Amino acid sequence: MSTVIEMENVSKVFGKKRAVHSMSFAMERGHSVALLGPNGAGKTTSIAMMLGLTKPTSGRVCLFSGDPKSATSHERIGVMLQEVSVPPRLSVRETIDMFRGFYPKPLPTDRLLQVSGLTEDQKTMAQKLSGGKMRRLQFALALAGDPDVLFLDEPTVGMDVASRRTFWDEVRSFLRAGKTLMLTTHDLQEADMLADRIVVMQNGAVIADAPPESIKMQFGGRTVSFVAGPDIDFERLRMLPDVTDVQTVGRQVTVRTQNSDALLKTLILEAWDIRDIQVHGGGLEDAFVRLTAEGGESQ
Amino acid sequence: MRATLTYWKYELIRTLRDRRFFLLTLGMPVIFYFVFINQQGGALRIAGTFWSHYFMVSMASFGVVGSSINTLGVRLAAERQSGWVRYLRTTPLSSFGYAIAKILTQLTLSLLIILCIFLVAHFSQNVSLSGGEWLTITLWLWIGSLPFAALGVFIGLTGNAAQPLGTLMYLVASMLGGLWTPIQALPSVMQTIAKWTPTYHYAHPAWRILAGQSIQASDILVLLGWTLLFLIGSVALQRRIDTKVQM
Repeated sequence: MSTVIEMENVSKVFGKKRAVHSMSFAMERGHSVALLGPNGAGKTTSIAMMLGLTKPTSGRVCLFSGDPKSATSHERIGVMLQEVSVPPRLSVRETIDMFRGFYPKPLPTDRLLQVSGLTEDQKTMAQKLSGGKMRRLQFALALAGDPDVLFLDEPTVGMDVASRRTFWDEVRSFLRAGKTLMLTTHDLQEADMLADRIVVMQNGAVIADAPPESIKMQFGGRTVSFVAGPDIDFERLRMLPDVTDVQTVGRQVTVRTQNSDALLKTLILEAWDIRDIQVHGGGLEDAFVRLTAEGGESQ
Repeated sequence: MRATLTYWKYELIRTLRDRRFFLLTLGMPVIFYFVFINQQGGALRIAGTFWSHYFMVSMASFGVVGSSINTLGVRLAAERQSGWVRYLRTTPLSSFGYAIAKILTQLTLSLLIILCIFLVAHFSQNVSLSGGEWLTITLWLWIGSLPFAALGVFIGLTGNAAQPLGTLMYLVASMLGGLWTPIQALPSVMQTIAKWTPTYHYAHPAWRILAGQSIQASDILVLLGWTLLFLIGSVALQRRIDTKVQM
């Protein structure tokens, strides 16, 4: 009963365009998944099917083991979508109160205003909010029903740095309460920070699905950098096993590797003429770029 | 149910803050009533009743048609285009609940418009009817407004065209249906056209009640026909949108 979302061999075709292709995916309660992929990879369509906004062409989609369209399953979720503007002639507070009226056990209005940082704007007409504040209002609307699961589609687009920080803090405290998050984003730092599982989509299919650390390890690799002494043999360095790339700036050398442990052992045991060694983990961005480039070639 | 009632409440709050609603949808029929009554004199006899009574029904009908098209139709189009309707579908407010809330809102506004025009006519022109007559006319104009709600939904699905198409339908249907100038005063070609409009068949039973006559089945049948047409049109438009939408 702890499966929140389940997709079984799901495909979605619009006219001649195949948006999602035999996707299978399951998500357990208490996890936070970031769905990544280049534009047009099928992320938004997948989310739309999970929410019951779009019917799959074939395959099965379940939300809380039931129909994603049912109102009872919607009582337990909160959603931020892209490109939504709120209706005119209601204040921020009224818009929040309206949403609270949709749910059986809503959170208090003042709490929602505070969480979204809109307490001072509560009397402003909601439609007049700036882009960043509008996103924050939608975050308040997503939390209005005290949901078990949050679906956030590009939540921080348009937010300034400070709002972003507050937003991430709020999402993290939401997750600490044992709740579930489904996130799509272009901001890889955001994905890395909030998700315990990264799902990468491309051309309508899942091409990677693992915790951020292992995705970074597997596809991002590591870099070992050091200052090279006069005796160093760059030709041999490039030929060492595990070395994928060598960059030099003056005496400063940066070596990219899939296995930094083995490389370091070699460098030290063979007493290479180097000093000031530093090891860096490859970022998620690195991994992402590699992954989607490889996926693109195989298509 | 909770979600539907909540949405209904906030729809009404939004309408009460809408200047356009008061100036145009409610204001126009009230102003027209004063202008046209003063031109002809309210005591003029027409279709078995007085001009002040007859034109009260005309303007109540005009107001209700206007709010169905402008408030329901144009607002629906705006809410669809802004992504709001799609967003609401992720909440416990179902598509069905949303539709019910919209219909409840429209019925509330129609009743408000009918009562406003009646009060204006009663206090400015001393229009007085028996309790039973007031009640039947009000009920007819209220329930009979549902075909125009269906028209509003149809217009709401036309996207960018909603505003111009809505205004056109509002004015043309009101004029052709004899809500501005009684069809008795129009050439016979226009009279024949009027008898095919939903607006004429909406106001006609109420005019008959004023003359002490009863509601005819033919009026109800024509209105049902138009309702069916608007609903079929709406379903067809919705199908086209569903197959076109790429997301």
